[in-house]
Amino acid sequence: MAATSSCSVRFSELSGAKRLSTGAVLLVVPLTAVLVAGALSGRNEADAAPPEQPAPSKRFARPNAPRPFDRDSRRGDSARKSDSSANTGKGAPTQRAVARHVSPSDSAGTAAAIDVVIREELAESKSSVAPVAADEDFLRRVTFDLTGTSPSPRDVTLFGLDSDPAKRAKLVDQLLDSDEFSRNWARYWRDVVFSRATEMRAQFATQTFEDWMHGEFQKKAPWDAIATSMLTAKGGVREEGSTGLIFAHGAEPAEVAAEVSRIFLGIQIQCANCHDHPTDAWKREQFHQLAAFFPRLRLQPKMTTPRTFEVVSLDSTPFGGRGGGNPLGALRENPELAIRRLDQNRDGKLSKSEAEDGPLGRLFDRLLGLGDTNKDGMLSAEELKKIEPPMMAGRGSREYHMPDLNNPSAPGKRIDPEFFVTHEKPGADLSDADRRAAVARYITSPDNPWFARAFVNRIWSEMLGEGFYIPVDDMGPEREPRYGKALDLLADGFVSNRYDVRWVYRTIASTEAYQRQIRPTEATENPTPFVAAVPTRLRSDQLYSAITKVLGIDDLGGGGMRRPGGGMGRGPRTPRDNFAQLFGFDPSTPHDEVVGSVPQALFLMNSPLLTNLMRAGGRTTLSGILTKYSSDRDALNELYLMVLAREPSEKELKICTDYIAEVNNRNEAFEDLLWSLLNSSEFLTKR
Amino acid sequence: MLNTNLAQQSLSRRRFLQTVSAGALAAGAFNLPGLMSVNADELRKQGRSMILLWMQGAPSQFETFDPKPGTENGGPTEAIETSVPGIRIAKGWENTAKVMDEIALVRSMTNKEGNHQRATYQLHTGYIPSGSVKHPSLGSNLAKMLADPAHELPSVVSVGQTVGAGYLGVDYEPFVVNDPGSMPQNVTTTVPTPRFERRLGLLDKLEDDFAGRGGAAVVDSHKRLYGKTAKLVLSPAIKSFDISTEPAPLREKYGSTQFGRGCLLARKLVEAGVTFVEVRAGNWDTHDNNFERTTTLAGQVDPGAAALIADLKERGLMEKTLVVWMGEFGRTPRINPRNGRDHYPRVFNGWLAGGGVKGGQVIGSSTPDGAGVKDNPVSVPDLFCSVCKSLGVDPRHESLSPIGRPLKIVDGGEVVPGLFA
Repeated sequence: MAATSSCSVRFSELSGAKRLSTGAVLLVVPLTAVLVAGALSGRNEADAAPPEQPAPSKRFARPNAPRPFDRDSRRGDSARKSDSSANTGKGAPTQRAVARHVSPSDSAGTAAAIDVVIREELAESKSSVAPVAADEDFLRRVTFDLTGTSPSPRDVTLFGLDSDPAKRAKLVDQLLDSDEFSRNWARYWRDVVFSRATEMRAQFATQTFEDWMHGEFQKKAPWDAIATSMLTAKGGVREEGSTGLIFAHGAEPAEVAAEVSRIFLGIQIQCANCHDHPTDAWKREQFHQLAAFFPRLRLQPKMTTPRTFEVVSLDSTPFGGRGGGNPLGALRENPELAIRRLDQNRDGKLSKSEAEDGPLGRLFDRLLGLGDTNKDGMLSAEELKKIEPPMMAGRGSREYHMPDLNNPSAPGKRIDPEFFVTHEKPGADLSDADRRAAVARYITSPDNPWFARAFVNRIWSEMLGEGFYIPVDDMGPEREPRYGKALDLLADGFVSNRYDVRWVYRTIASTEAYQRQIRPTEATENPTPFVAAVPTRLRSDQLYSAITKVLGIDDLGGGGMRRPGGGMGRGPRTPRDNFAQLFGFDPSTPHDEVVGSVPQALFLMNSPLLTNLMRAGGRTTLSGILTKYSSDRDALNELYLMVLAREPSEKELKICTDYIAEVNNRNEAFEDLLWSLLNSSEFLTKR
Repeated sequence: MLNTNLAQQSLSRRRFLQTVSAGALAAGAFNLPGLMSVNADELRKQGRSMILLWMQGAPSQFETFDPKPGTENGGPTEAIETSVPGIRIAKGWENTAKVMDEIALVRSMTNKEGNHQRATYQLHTGYIPSGSVKHPSLGSNLAKMLADPAHELPSVVSVGQTVGAGYLGVDYEPFVVNDPGSMPQNVTTTVPTPRFERRLGLLDKLEDDFAGRGGAAVVDSHKRLYGKTAKLVLSPAIKSFDISTEPAPLREKYGSTQFGRGCLLARKLVEAGVTFVEVRAGNWDTHDNNFERTTTLAGQVDPGAAALIADLKERGLMEKTLVVWMGEFGRTPRINPRNGRDHYPRVFNGWLAGGGVKGGQVIGSSTPDGAGVKDNPVSVPDLFCSVCKSLGVDPRHESLSPIGRPLKIVDGGEVVPGLFA
C-alpha cells in the first residue's frame, strides 16, 4: 500500500515536471520506466554519472594551491574530479535520481546492506575493522546521539544485565519514541540554522524555532514536510517557528537561497554568487535563479512591545500597481507615476505634506536629504530619478536582479526562478506564495537526489563522527562521496520511507559501522573511514544535560555564567542559553575542527558554581555517593558510572586509590576526583 | 605521547601547537618546541600589536573629526584647533586634539554597507558576511601571523563582544572581557594553588586510559587547551588584567568610564605581549538627539583614546603599536527631523596612530556638504592593507576555509598612499 501511495506522490511531481524544458522531460522517461518495473535494479552502471578519470589532487581551480594540512589527505576520496565540465554537474544528479527503491526498505535490511558495502570496500583497503563496542559504550553513545544526554548509572547497570539479544534495537526504538529525541534534534537544527545567521536580531527567535521543530519531530512530520514549512513560512517570528530560517537571513533573497541550498541540499552554490563556481559546475546565473524564488519575501518590523518582525509577501506595490516592492522601488521604476498619484496641488513636485500621508511617509525626509538638489524642500521627478539607488542592487524590487559586477550600483539583470538541479521553472511573474511553494516542491521532490542525501549524510556524520561527504554542507556535485553506494542505500531508503526521519536514525544505529569501538587511530596520512568509531566533542546542549545530570540539578542557575544582555527585545536568557554562549558551536563544522576554548576550560576548572555543586559535603550527588558507599572502590565505581557511564579500569582504580591515600582526606580526594573526571576529555566527548 | 605527537607535526600546524600538557606544566617542564619557520619567528619577535577602538553604532563624522561648522549639514557643531596647525576637529575632542601630531585622520572612508551587523562584520573581517564561511576577524588573522604561541596570555582580547576567529579556531578566538574594571571570570582558582596543581596532575594521569582506548587525538587537544588555560590561571601575567594597580592619576586621565578603563587595560595587555586588543564604545547610533548624544559620547571616548596615545608614547610602545579608531559607517549629512543623523556609508571617518603611521596629517576629504568623498577615497580593503603594512603582515597571505577555499587576509585594496612616514 505504501508503495502505491508513494508512487502517486511521484506521479504528481512528474506531471509538474512535464511542463518544463526538454531536458526535464528526458529525465521522466527512465524514471517512469523504473516506477513501472518496480525494480530495485534501477541502480546500475548506466544510471550512474558518466565515469571520468579521477585526479584527486586538483581540488582548487588554480595550480599549486596550498592544501589543507590534515584535512586534505583525509578528503582524498572525496576530492573533486579534474574535468569539471558543466555537463557532468548538471547531468549527474538528475540521472542519479532514477536509482531508488520503490517499496519502502526496512531499517535492519538497509543497515545490513550498508555494512556489506562498507565491508567490501574495507576488504580492499586491508584495514582491520574495530570490534563491536561494549554495551556501556554503545549505551552512552546512542543515548547522547538520540536523546542528547548521558545514561544514568542505573541505565548502565540494567542494560548490561539485560540478556535479550535484541536489546540494542529495542533501546533504539525506545529512545526514538522519547520526547528527549525530539528536543535534542530540535536543538541541533536550531544551531544549524542560527549559527550562520546574518541577521543578528534573529537570536530572539531561536526558542520559537526550537519549540516548533520539537513539535514537528514529536508529531513525526516527515523531512519534506518540515522543509516545505520552512520554505513557505509566513507570519510573526515570535509565533511561527517555521520562519526561523528566513528570519535568520533577514529575508534577503540571496542569503536565503544560499542557506536553503546549503542546509537542504548540502550544496554551497552561493560561491557562484559573484562568479562561476571556482570548483563546481554551477554557473553564476544558476545561483541567482535560485534566489529569484525569494525576491518578494519581506521582513516587516512590528512596533509592538516587545518588538518583533513578520515574514510577509510583497506582491503588490504601495501604489497599487506593479511597479516595485517598496516605495523606493516604485519611485525608481516610475517616478512620474508616483508624483502624479501624490501631487495634490499639481505643481509637479512632492512636498512633505503631500508625501506624508502616502506610502512614502517616513521615507520622505531621507529622500529629501538624498535628492533635493535645488534645496526647495520638495522633490521633482528629475530629482527623484537622480537619487542614488539603494545600497544593494536589486533591493526593493518585486523581481530578482542579478547584480552587475562591473557596475554594482546598476539595477542588474532581471532573473526568473529556475531550480538548478532539475531545471524546473515555475514561470515568470508569480506571486511570492507560488514561487516558494514551487521551490519547496522542487527541492523535496524525489527527483532531486540532493535533498535526501544532504539529510542522511548529515545525520550519519553526526552519529558516526564523519560523513560520506565532509563537510556535511558541501557535497557536490563534483566531489565523490566515500562509500557512495552506502550513501545511496541510505538516501534511497529514506525516500522510499517517505522521508521518515526516525527511519534514518534507526537504520544508522543498527549498522555495525555505528556500533564499532573507538580505537587508536592508524598512523597513516589517510585513515580509512568507518573502520572504527570516531570520538567527537559533545554539543553544548548534550554537555549541559550531562553536567546537570551528574550534579543532580535541573539547571545551572546563578553566577559564573554572567554575560551581557543582548540587543533589542531579547527574552530572558536561560542558564542553558548562557551555557551555549560559552560551549556552543556550529554543528555543520567538521567534527575534528571542533575544539574547546579557554573560557570553557576556565569555566569547568574554576567556576564557583560548579565548585559548590562538586563539594563532598552538603546535599550534592558526591556527598550522596560518599555516604552510601563506605568502600572507596565502590564509591569510585559509582562515581565513574555517574560521570562517564562506565566502570573504571583496574589501572584507573589504582591511580584513584593511590591518590586518595596520598591526599589522606577522603572528602578532599573525592572532590579532586570528581573535578578531574568532569574536566576530563572523555566527559566532554562522545565515545 | 609526546613522540607520537611530534611525528604528526608535519601534518598539521594545529597539532603542532598541541604539545603542552597540563602535567608538564604542573611539573614546570614546559618548553616550546622551536619548529616555527624563521620568517614567522622574526615577525613574532618584533612584538607588534594593534589596539582597535571600536565605535559601535557608527559615529557621525560631523561630530567627530570632520566638522563642517557654519554649513547647513554641519549643524551646530563647532570646530576646535588641534596641536597641528590647520587640522580642526569637532568640539568635545579637546584631549585628542592635543595628541593630533600622532594621528593620521582619514576623512574619506567609503563603503556600501549601511546595516549595523553586516558592516560591523565587514569592518572587522574585511569581508561581507556570508552564510557559507565565517571569516576570521582581522585581529585573529593578525594574531595567527604575529602572536607567540608560547605566550601565557590570550593573543586576542576584546573588551566587549566582538567578531570571532571564524574558521581560524580556538587559538585565535578573542578572549572577551566584559568588565575591564574587574578580573575576567573564572580566572581565579577556587582551591589553593598547590591543590589546583595536584588536581591538574591527577587529571593528566586519568586521561591516559581514554587516550589508549582511542581518544588520543581528543586527549592531546584537550591537554593543550588545559595547558594553555592553566598557564593563564597560574601566570603572574594574569595580573595584566587588573587595572586597579595602576597609579590613580593615570587612571583618572583615562577616565572613569567603561571605555577609559578598557583603554588602560588595552595598554597593559599590549605591554604584556597581547597581539590584538579591541575596546568598544557603544551607542553611536544617533538617529535622534545627535548633538547632545555625541557630546556625551565624546566625553567618554576622548579622554581614554587620548590618554592611551600619550601613555603608549611615554612608554616607548608607539612605534610597535598601531591604534585605530573607527566605527562601521558614517552618518547622513542631512539632519533629520528628530535632530538625528541616519546611516551613511558613502563617506565616513576614522584615524590611525602609531605603528609607523605618519601623524599630524589628514588623508582624503569629504565634499563641502559632506555628501561624498572629494578626494583620495579609502575603502575597507585599503584600510586593512594599511593595517597589515603597519604590522608587517602580508595582506595576501592565504589561509584555507573549511570548505577548502583559500582566502586572503585582505582581498583587494592597497596601502593608503602617504599614510606612513
